[in-house]
Amino acid sequence: MNVVTGLINGAISGATPILLAALGGAYTFYAGVFNIAMEGMLLMAAFCAVWGSFTFGSWVAGVLLAIAGSLVLALIFIFFAVFLDTDEFVTGIALNIFTLGATTYLLRQSFGVKGVYAGPGIDPIPSLNFPLVAQIPVVGPILSGQNLMVYVAVLATIASAFLVFRTRFGLRLRAAGYNAASLDSSGVPSNRLRAYSLLLCGVLCGLGGAFLSLGYVNLFSENMSAGRGWISLAAIILVSGNPWGVAIISLLFGFADVLGLLLQSYQVPSQFTAMTPYIATLIALYFYARRQRKERDYADA
Amino acid sequence: MTDHPSPLAPDLIRMRAIVKVYPPNVLALDDVTVSFDDGEIHALVGENGAGKSTLMKVLYGLIHQDGGEILYQDRSVRFRTPGEAIAAGIGMVHQEIVLVNEYTVWENIVLGAEPVDWLGRIDETRSRQQVQAIIDQFHFDLDPDAQVDDISVAARQKVEILKLLYRKVSVLILDEPTAVLTPQEIPQLFAELRELRDEGHTIIFISHRLEEVLALSDRVTVLRKGRLVATVPAAGTTRAELAELMVGREVLFTSRRTPQEPGEVVFAVAGLRYEDGRGRVRLKDVTLQVRAGELVGVAGVEGNGQFELVNAITGLLKPTAGTIEVAGEDVTAAPVLERRRHIAYVPQDRGRMGGSLPASVVENAIMTHHRLNAELVRWRGLLLDNGAARRFTDRLAEAFAVSMPSRSSPLRSLSGGNQQKVILGRELLLDSPFILLDQPTRGLDVGSIEYVHDQMLAMRGAGRALLMISANLEEIFMLADRIVVLHRGEIVADVPVEQASIEQIGRYMLEGNDATL
Amino acid sequence: MGKFLNAALGIVIALFIGALIMLAQGYDPLASYAALFQFSLGSPYALATTLKNAVPLVLTGLSAAIAFASGPVNLGQPGQLIMGALAATVGGLYLDLPPWLMIPVLALLAMAGGALWSGLAALLRQAFQMSEFIVTLMLNIIADYFALWVITGPLKDATAYSPMTPPIARSGWLPEFGDWNSAIFWMLAAVALMWFLYNRTRAGYEWRMGGQNSLFARLGGCPVNRNFVLVMLLTGALAGLAGGLLIMGGPHRFLRGLGANYAWDGVMIAIVANNSIIGTLFYGLFFSAIQTGALGMELITDVPSEIALVLQGVLVLVIVASREALHKVADRLAVRRRAADAAKNERAVAQEIERG
Repeated sequence: MNVVTGLINGAISGATPILLAALGGAYTFYAGVFNIAMEGMLLMAAFCAVWGSFTFGSWVAGVLLAIAGSLVLALIFIFFAVFLDTDEFVTGIALNIFTLGATTYLLRQSFGVKGVYAGPGIDPIPSLNFPLVAQIPVVGPILSGQNLMVYVAVLATIASAFLVFRTRFGLRLRAAGYNAASLDSSGVPSNRLRAYSLLLCGVLCGLGGAFLSLGYVNLFSENMSAGRGWISLAAIILVSGNPWGVAIISLLFGFADVLGLLLQSYQVPSQFTAMTPYIATLIALYFYARRQRKERDYADA
Repeated sequence: MTDHPSPLAPDLIRMRAIVKVYPPNVLALDDVTVSFDDGEIHALVGENGAGKSTLMKVLYGLIHQDGGEILYQDRSVRFRTPGEAIAAGIGMVHQEIVLVNEYTVWENIVLGAEPVDWLGRIDETRSRQQVQAIIDQFHFDLDPDAQVDDISVAARQKVEILKLLYRKVSVLILDEPTAVLTPQEIPQLFAELRELRDEGHTIIFISHRLEEVLALSDRVTVLRKGRLVATVPAAGTTRAELAELMVGREVLFTSRRTPQEPGEVVFAVAGLRYEDGRGRVRLKDVTLQVRAGELVGVAGVEGNGQFELVNAITGLLKPTAGTIEVAGEDVTAAPVLERRRHIAYVPQDRGRMGGSLPASVVENAIMTHHRLNAELVRWRGLLLDNGAARRFTDRLAEAFAVSMPSRSSPLRSLSGGNQQKVILGRELLLDSPFILLDQPTRGLDVGSIEYVHDQMLAMRGAGRALLMISANLEEIFMLADRIVVLHRGEIVADVPVEQASIEQIGRYMLEGNDATL
Repeated sequence: MGKFLNAALGIVIALFIGALIMLAQGYDPLASYAALFQFSLGSPYALATTLKNAVPLVLTGLSAAIAFASGPVNLGQPGQLIMGALAATVGGLYLDLPPWLMIPVLALLAMAGGALWSGLAALLRQAFQMSEFIVTLMLNIIADYFALWVITGPLKDATAYSPMTPPIARSGWLPEFGDWNSAIFWMLAAVALMWFLYNRTRAGYEWRMGGQNSLFARLGGCPVNRNFVLVMLLTGALAGLAGGLLIMGGPHRFLRGLGANYAWDGVMIAIVANNSIIGTLFYGLFFSAIQTGALGMELITDVPSEIALVLQGVLVLVIVASREALHKVADRLAVRRRAADAAKNERAVAQEIERG
């Protein structure tokens, strides 16, 4: 029982940053923005979280700074892709490159180290314990005792589903992606919705990045987003942005993470087990492409 | 409903001395002055390119005039965006429908003006009620919960109109609303428009179909080549009078070709059928032949299988059944290059299919030739002979009177007419026995159109087989030896031009096999 | 003309922003830049080092530029570089041929290793329509772990403390002429060859047209699917060659973290060069100068060498933005000029009509 609970908790931890980033990316997906800057936003947020937490001695400051750092990237994206009308793909890549350089520099500059900073002064994001819930057999240890950000991610999933499918904002957001001309002719500038979606993406990636460096582990290392932003992009594409679908896919990637750890106990070299989330992404893409091909046959020409 | 002093209170909108120049130097509107009265149906007629849509886009704030002014309710206005025009009570339904196909009817109608609760949640009950109320008020026959993807084009048009009525506009501009409708649907639209007028709305109706215009409107304004010709009352004006005002000459359709006996069959399609992935039949048993020295025109309302026919011929799409033969060779399943040995192809979309806009004129000119013309390559086709490519481009530019800044300028820097000349020249220089032209003059100015037509007739004279798809009946009547009508993917008429009348072809286009002669 | 203006403007603005960052942190920007360029261009040795360090940047940049300009979104240069380096290392460990044969063989092995990795992505695309964009990204990370396994497991140098392979055979070392490593000649040859291939051959023409407008190329009779695979293989081979030269010209063995240093450099250089081959050479050299000079700068000015990464990032952003901004300004000017011309023409015509 304990092993299973541990596995599930591990999967949840692994899934949380991907889920938060993917929810953010889902907004831009619905708004019709080809946003591949989640990787950079996560990384920037992870750094800012550690810096804020260390400097102010409080994880709250860390989380707020993480959001701020990620939002700065979102604002640059908006300025470039919405205002200057640059290519979205190029903008996203440029932001990721900029972030990789900036965080590496700032790590050296602020903490005087190369590679990793794991000093004692970093205040981690706490876990929440619900004593009554924890008593529940089987699910108790899963429902209680998770990191605060895990609960935030669950709430964000519910809120996103509500926002996208039930509200005026959601109706306009999706219209911007489906048919921007139609939204424009309805008197709502589709560019405004695109900008909002990027801001939301900034906030959510900020939370995801904060969890990476203050929840999942308690340190910052160079390039610590390690492709999670790209995996979140794959997750979005696989389920066309649906927040519930994103949650399920993120959990699957979380399980792939755990599976890697499990394999390690069967003498599989750790370098191979570390590949599992990325191989899982390739497998998921295969099934997605197969489904797409069938649909394309329908909509041919 | 609205109370205004008289049904024809003068000058609700007055557009005075409007000038609009499209870059580089197309004078789309030249000093046009026209006024629209409160509560009338006012038709705007003219040939393609006469400036009808441009004038209305200026009024609607989609584009902005370079001269002149607009008075609305006696105040000078200049709408920067359509949103401002709608807020002021002027709405426009475009020729191409812009709705969110993934949404329901009511969602489309309320989009941008949604009733919500305190949480920002859309009040579905209230939205549906409001939408149902305007549907009932104007006696439109629509299900608010239907998804737009699933409803007919006519119904989508109604959704567009309702969207404006929901926003309480009093002036409705409709750009060629009947172009996408079937004949059965048109009287219903007209009844609805009349009802709107009787309720106090002003309707501006763009069309080039004269019967419709005379049947529906109170007054008619005629534009020709960007200039105002006249505004006349519909009552007491005949179709012939209107036609003369429109084209500026008496006879509408003259053939420009000289009689010529066609040769043997060069291009033959037999039993061609295409079903899309959803099992909808897009082409149904299409059988068609084109002979050497013959120009066959394919008429039809857009979306009746022209797209699929062209793509099946060029190889972008695999037909479900049937064969395509060119010059005696079966190319039904051949790769594109194999087809291109026998087929010259002038596509309808210059920037998307006909050429690469950022590439130089030379690079655009040698496409396909680079694979078929041994003079352009060296070393067994490994290397391009740039000198030969330049000479080839010069030859093309001279033969087809292309005016361009230089050979190495990007295609984008040429005017539309010159871009089309590059593409046309490239294709005609392939010396293919069969030439496929898809809307070869769409979007061109008058001079270029004439040039393209001359080249096509010259090719016909030289014994090539030509198949032209055109949405412009006048063009077809002017050039074609035979007219083929596509209706819902089926050939419903195949007649020599001498035996065809424009009315008869029009009926075939709209009603297919049900057309009675 | 516009290109040079854009490049010059971008570099000046990026350096200016970099100076502001340094000022904000209390460094002397002028002295720092002086040191930076002194250590990258200021002496023959510095120049030779800059050129040698430019080799992987230019080659991965070429790989990305040719892929992007031809259509395929090959973002797999890091992975392809690693696989190329690995292939050359394996060859260097198990083969021992005379140098005149050994070096070309190892280079070919490196290209094959890179092409294998990009070919895998091309295969997944052709067979299953899986987008090469995410596939190449995932393959990057997989290649990284794979190489790590190889150097900690089967090919680990037992005498070394950290994971690395033993050195390759001496005959596979690229010769050096004084300060000048012959990897530089490989790089220049690759640039020249690629320029020729892209601008003078029929295949290059088809790739260009396919990259600009694939429907046009397809209708014009170009074999677009075959071209896709060819471009993927070629660009993978270029990135693989970068990895091979890195082994043969530098540490002569596969060290841990070899690929990480070049993760996005190729893509970055292609983007700022707007996929131009000559531009790739130029920016590859420029970025190498910044990276090389930054290490020296750190020695005498206290400015962390990572400032080079910030300068690069800022430069990418500035160049991308200024390109669009310049386009916009240029377009607007052109339209205005044409409108004025049109008005003039109209007036002339109107006068003529009036006259008679």
